[in-house]
Amino acid sequence: MAGTGVSGPLAVDTRSIPEMVLAAAEAALADAQTDFGNIDAVVTASVDLHDGLTASNIAVTEVVGAVMKPETRIAGDGLAAAAHAACQIWAGAYGTVLVVAHGKASMADQDSVEQWAWDPITIQPLGVGFTVAAGLQARAVMGEGDPEAALSRWATVASRRWQAVGVGSRPEDVLASPVTAAPLRALMAAPAADAAYAVVLTGEPQRRGPVLKGVGYDLDTHAPGDRDLASWAGLGRAFARACRVAGSDTGAAFDIVEASCRYPHEEELVAAAVPALADSDVAPSGGLYRGVAPVAAGLGRLVDTVDALRSGPPARALAHGTWGPAGQAHAVAILESAP
Amino acid sequence: MNQQPAAQLATQITLDITWHYSATEAMSRFLAGLRERRIEALRCDGCGRRYLPPRPFCGRCCLRMHNWVPVADMGTIEAWTVVHVPVLDSRTGAPRPLPYGMALIRLDGADTTLNHYLDETDPAELCIGARVRAVWRDEVVGAMDDISHFEVLR
Repeated sequence: MAGTGVSGPLAVDTRSIPEMVLAAAEAALADAQTDFGNIDAVVTASVDLHDGLTASNIAVTEVVGAVMKPETRIAGDGLAAAAHAACQIWAGAYGTVLVVAHGKASMADQDSVEQWAWDPITIQPLGVGFTVAAGLQARAVMGEGDPEAALSRWATVASRRWQAVGVGSRPEDVLASPVTAAPLRALMAAPAADAAYAVVLTGEPQRRGPVLKGVGYDLDTHAPGDRDLASWAGLGRAFARACRVAGSDTGAAFDIVEASCRYPHEEELVAAAVPALADSDVAPSGGLYRGVAPVAAGLGRLVDTVDALRSGPPARALAHGTWGPAGQAHAVAILESAP
Repeated sequence: MNQQPAAQLATQITLDITWHYSATEAMSRFLAGLRERRIEALRCDGCGRRYLPPRPFCGRCCLRMHNWVPVADMGTIEAWTVVHVPVLDSRTGAPRPLPYGMALIRLDGADTTLNHYLDETDPAELCIGARVRAVWRDEVVGAMDDISHFEVLR
């Protein structure tokens, strides 16, 4: 991990997508003490639907320095883009790869945009957005248990995440906020945001950059009715794949975890899917509560993980990204401090 | 969140395009069945899973599916929510009255669930495992909303 760069997150970034992406890419290159000329290939993550245009090739190719270079475009979370870049390097195809992800939620009403992400025959006519999917999932996670106990637990978790990002919402504030999709309350959700993230991956030895040891990802069925909503089994599979690449045991503990959980019930899904994380604080930085940029947030988790590894004692860390309705897809990266 | 940069002009774009989605052979048969108030699922020869809504291919077994099986218009709630966020009806563009019930419903004879509306919006009256029955529109055209909603049976 040679360098990282961030632009945002902001509730509304009035800059264009190319400006946001360029700011993140330049910051990552500066952090890596390199420039566009030393980049062999680029992997970008974005989704046309969110951008309102054919995302990568119109808005991004030039500002990520990919003109007349190999650019791979990932229609998924930026952490999956980082996984592709790592595989390109491990395969020996390229030496240094720039990974960039962007999302600009303020451009359009997200619930309306997300309706278009569903099957056009069976679900779109019902007007379902991802918030509704999250409500269905929260209810499935709650199961037959005590609803008041679950709500209290989730309000406490959400409050802790808000506090970590400097927002003083108490558990009672969370519970008193309006119901969005029962049982979820408005303040249980991390806020949508505009952001771009960039990382420089290289096969060259780094003095201070953490080492990416393993990556894995997994896509489950799109329709929430085809999978067990009360489980993020796909995260478990992605994690197992990352461990195989890293050559590590799936039971080994992590010192730092940055999971992509937009709702508190998702933290319970993480703990159930990856028992090694059951006792971990999965979002010590506040995680997504600083702002969720669609399909970019997972790369933001990787950036936060790198920052934590650089600034702390030697450690082993995990970053997680997710995309699609109710956690359809998951990406995992396992990192260690620089030797 | 971080500091706001200097404001810029923004251009508002309204995209007004009609897409024509091919429904697949499987979905075409399914929708034709709805016109007769009949629901069918496709069963996978590999895993035996009965898919509803039907689709041509089992993603788990990587097998084409051909075997149609009948499904009842009654079933069980697998997950539910009561929605309070504004949602536009994708057919009319009009806001849907709030709140409304939404559920994943496993119809008798199927192994996957359908998204659909519920007639109940009181959380105290809803639970996983509750039995529901389809309420059909008087005029059916071969679309998912030929079923207006599901009523909760008590």
